[in-house]
Amino acid sequence: MTDPVPLPAGVRDVLPVEAAELRALGDALAGAFASFGFREVMTPVIELADVLDRAEEDGVGRAYRLFDDEGRVLVLRPDLTIPIARLVATRMADQPDPVRVSYNARAVRPPAPGKIEGAEQRQAGIELVGLAGPEADAEVIAALAIALAAAGVPDARIAIGSVALVSAVVEGVGADLAAQAAMWVALRGRSLVDWRAAATGTGATGEAGAVLADLPSLRGGGEVLGRVAAAVPAAAGECARLQEVLRLVALHGVEPPMVDLGVVRDWAYYSGVVIEAYAAGAMAPVAVGGRYDGLAARFGRARPAVGVAVALDLLHHAVGRAAEQPDSGIVLVGGCDQLIEAAAALRAQGVDVVALPADAADAEAVALADGRRFVVRRDGDGWIARDVIGGADIAVPDLGEGPWT
Amino acid sequence: MDLRICVPLGALFEDSLEAMAGVGLPVDPLRDAGRRLIVQVPDGPTYITTRPSDVPTYVESGAADLGIVGRDVLLERQPDVYELADLGFGGCRMSWCTPDGDDPTAEAIERFGVVRVATKYVNCAERFFEETGRKADIVKVNGSVELAPLVGLSDGIVDLVATGRTLRENGLVEREEIFTSTARLIANRVSHKMQAPLMDDLVRRFEELQP
Repeated sequence: MTDPVPLPAGVRDVLPVEAAELRALGDALAGAFASFGFREVMTPVIELADVLDRAEEDGVGRAYRLFDDEGRVLVLRPDLTIPIARLVATRMADQPDPVRVSYNARAVRPPAPGKIEGAEQRQAGIELVGLAGPEADAEVIAALAIALAAAGVPDARIAIGSVALVSAVVEGVGADLAAQAAMWVALRGRSLVDWRAAATGTGATGEAGAVLADLPSLRGGGEVLGRVAAAVPAAAGECARLQEVLRLVALHGVEPPMVDLGVVRDWAYYSGVVIEAYAAGAMAPVAVGGRYDGLAARFGRARPAVGVAVALDLLHHAVGRAAEQPDSGIVLVGGCDQLIEAAAALRAQGVDVVALPADAADAEAVALADGRRFVVRRDGDGWIARDVIGGADIAVPDLGEGPWT
Repeated sequence: MDLRICVPLGALFEDSLEAMAGVGLPVDPLRDAGRRLIVQVPDGPTYITTRPSDVPTYVESGAADLGIVGRDVLLERQPDVYELADLGFGGCRMSWCTPDGDDPTAEAIERFGVVRVATKYVNCAERFFEETGRKADIVKVNGSVELAPLVGLSDGIVDLVATGRTLRENGLVEREEIFTSTARLIANRVSHKMQAPLMDDLVRRFEELQP
């Protein structure tokens, strides 16, 4: 018996079928992003820990850390927004506003015990840097909606909230710092019960008190924002801004997102609108993002920014199986020894050729495993093609004119 | 109604049924479920019955849209779910308990630098002793926790106390209360958004049940 061959906790291999589906999803998203002018960038897998740690007050938290040969602490990127912000703030500092970049890469975080979430997370996202207004928020939301539809999730739902709006309400009703801290803990922990307890403790009364207590449960369309603005005038500006985002998203021709003031993000760098997208079949949001105006300054070039990242693995669960495996291309027996020239000619015509040695034992098994429909063998001056799905043998005089061309 | 609700078996089961009946959910099929784990009500919700500690797992993963679970389980498991409403029933407290007589906690810290704790709630116990500035050696046990300090496995236990009867019968005394707990309504992050009107309506009706 051989020894087991384990992988580190939380990671997995991706086999050909899944890889093709993930590639197709990534390409669909990238195409939609590109139509808005987002250009792909790539950042290194490892970064210096003290650089990435600048992004958050408490450092980046849960991450794989290692040492380089000089004893400096390195971190495997646990998030992509932070490295991209670093890249834009340094390498693209002179690029005129606005800067639009996209990425499709993996973030790595140590798996939490008992959680299904993997350690490696494939993320395809965009960052729109240098525009502070609601038009940028709206563009990112619209690009996300269009990208999700392009990826084959027509019924995705997008919800937006705003950490700036929540702050404005909490401060507007005069909650003291301790109460504010308790409310943020409740909100980040998604406990509406604890939030309500903390809200009640602020002593806010009347409609302002009612709005405060219900804030994370408030959701719907623009009317929600009207109610908050009327009850807490200090938050009227943020409400108007979100209202404007809704209006602008509609102009992009996509369905306006749901307003959900309970939507927050775990990373503290978010400063304005926050975005989540959901799809049936995915256990967690398929996309998350928001505005993070203060992040770039921590890397030396202050610029407002807003972005969103699609979790490809979750999205993959939400889309159906890709259309039947390709039946294009053939398995050519002898294609890698006696019939190399025939294989090359066929490939030049654009047909995929899976080449096998002339003495291949079970070409049909290879064809089935690889998802190819026809196994072709030399037969005198012509060819015999076996259809591994139908089972029939077809005589083909010219390799360039078979059912695969 | 395409809604899957995860209902805890055990102590919270009867009260959960009553609360769900109170908000107009058809629960009679669940009463007559026998040993079935899934009960599908025609034109109604699908109920999934599990051990209480598994409820957050089913909800977090989206196998269930809603669940009813004690706050103690939420604090122990820290699942990424929405905690929508306090249902009021299932009241109990998480406490640090040691054998009757002098409390051995301070002496254990003073002489050995560590207090030995037996519990089913490893995370809650760890957090509690860290937050109170004490070092604890936590021993995970799966049942009859009260036994541990009586036979010298630990100095005391961190466990749920409802009436305190089990404690008294085993000669244990509550020393410090860690938190109080009641049953909570929780929701999967995606279901909470994809089925927003239905969820909001149910939460409102659950809240109206509260005095």
